[in-house]
Amino acid sequence: MPSDIPVHARERLKGLRSAAHSTGVFTSDFSVNEFLLVRKAGFEPIGLCMGTCVYHVGYQFGSWSKNQEMEVLSKAMYHARELAMVRMRAEATAMGADGIVGVKLTIKRLEWDQHLLEFIAIGTGVVHGEGRTGFRAHDGGPFTSDLSGQDFWSLLHAGYRPVEMVMGSCVYHVAHQGLLKGLSNIGQNVELTNFSQALYDAREIAMERMQNEASEAGAEGVVGVDLHEGSHNWAPHVIEFFAIGTAVVPISTELDPATIPDPQLVLSVNS
Amino acid sequence: MSGEPPVPMDHDARVADIQAALREGRVPSATLARLQATRGGRLPWVATLTPAELLSVRSHGLRPIAAIAATCWMHYGWSWTEGHAQGWKTALTRLKGEACIAGANVVLDVKMRTIPLGIENSMDFTLVGTAARVEGLKPSDDPIVATVPALEFVKLLEADIVPTGIAVGAQYDWLNDWYGNTSQTFAGNVETSVLSQFWERIRQRAHAELRRNAAGLGNGVLAHVNFGQLFKIETDNQGKRFLGRQIVVATVVDAPKPTKPTNMPWGESKARPAVPHEIGMVVDMHAGRTPLTGHTRHHQSYASNEREGAI
Repeated sequence: MPSDIPVHARERLKGLRSAAHSTGVFTSDFSVNEFLLVRKAGFEPIGLCMGTCVYHVGYQFGSWSKNQEMEVLSKAMYHARELAMVRMRAEATAMGADGIVGVKLTIKRLEWDQHLLEFIAIGTGVVHGEGRTGFRAHDGGPFTSDLSGQDFWSLLHAGYRPVEMVMGSCVYHVAHQGLLKGLSNIGQNVELTNFSQALYDAREIAMERMQNEASEAGAEGVVGVDLHEGSHNWAPHVIEFFAIGTAVVPISTELDPATIPDPQLVLSVNS
Repeated sequence: MSGEPPVPMDHDARVADIQAALREGRVPSATLARLQATRGGRLPWVATLTPAELLSVRSHGLRPIAAIAATCWMHYGWSWTEGHAQGWKTALTRLKGEACIAGANVVLDVKMRTIPLGIENSMDFTLVGTAARVEGLKPSDDPIVATVPALEFVKLLEADIVPTGIAVGAQYDWLNDWYGNTSQTFAGNVETSVLSQFWERIRQRAHAELRRNAAGLGNGVLAHVNFGQLFKIETDNQGKRFLGRQIVVATVVDAPKPTKPTNMPWGESKARPAVPHEIGMVVDMHAGRTPLTGHTRHHQSYASNEREGAI
């Protein structure tokens, strides 16, 4: 068991480990549908895993007229998320979980200090009902996935299993336009290529980082990718591009892809 | 996880390359290299699709290659309306450029996005989607761009309908009210016909343009985004003026013409049914809003100010 888990948390986790026993208690934030589908997929929830990190984000001032990555902020956002995720995964490892389903990664701003952000990762640790270990991540630890219980079931039935939640972050300063340049545009419909360029650059950096992470995890692909744009109380021209998804590998030993039935499409008569 | 992110090499060269690429209508070198590596299988494929969507598109012979995106940040000078139309069209051309590099036949799950940076008189027109190839087909020079969610794309394919792209209809006009026809303070219940006609004309022209724009891509459009604004501007020397602008964006489809069923003497019908499925009851296991109704919000660029249906 990793030594950096507080004693109190360790005691709690030891208690939860017995939840895999039929007389124990499991905790999860699953909805009924999620719970049923995770069980249908052959897994049992054993306990909520949580990791949190309060992070002081350092200072960096973007040059007024320059498009540039705010590397101090990029690294802060990345490092803090990673700390929260690693702590959550340590809890799951301590429980003996094979993976964590439905991970929610959220950021909260603490009101009294604009530089303080709280990062929280929370998800449900699951074990395979028949004790199969083939679902673990590339490093033998629990897999992580932001997919819901429904999506987890669907993914396994698409012939893939999750390996790791992968992400890429890039905080970028979009340059202000100079007054003269601004005046020359009045009356014209023109592309502001410096702004377009900023978005291209920032998005590419975030995507590259995410894809490289997936590559390092030995993944075949990444599903459910979303590219968020957000500003965490920074200057108006500073934006974070955040790419996140679940890296997946084909299931080879636990399921024969040839046995997967085609899905049935549904036209809803509800409006 | 790999720890701290790698610092990108040579920022200035990268910036200059992106600017040149936008001017020359090519894909920036860094994106080009990543897409080529993904196409060649040296990097993992990336899809914006959910697992259920992934399963559906794979069972229909589609393989995701890469999540792609294109942006055009437009400043509108003389026309907001035409700036919007031009912004989306440029983004669409760029998106297709990336899809070609990725070796795709189709771009699935295309979403219209805008970053709320609030820079005056300008907006970014961003399209994000998943480039995919159809097994057994060669990569296309002119990939199809489908602005419907992937599950709906597959539903349409099953019904022999192909979503082919995006059509835009955008129109604006000015109205000078020299004679005070819109001043009806004590008029009671009466139509403001000058404004009615003005607004109707703009909307009709926007829809006519949408139709013209769509004609080159397919034979119908679905899933409109309607956005219209009417402004009143009062100035000292010009009196009262009105500006109306309307933009309509829609998914173009190519649907086979329905044929009349012809009953054969042996009792069979010759016509192909419009939807080749029986209708059955299902229980939806989704928590919250179901994607089955097809109401997934697929754009956030226009906060729609049009309420449709009964008031």
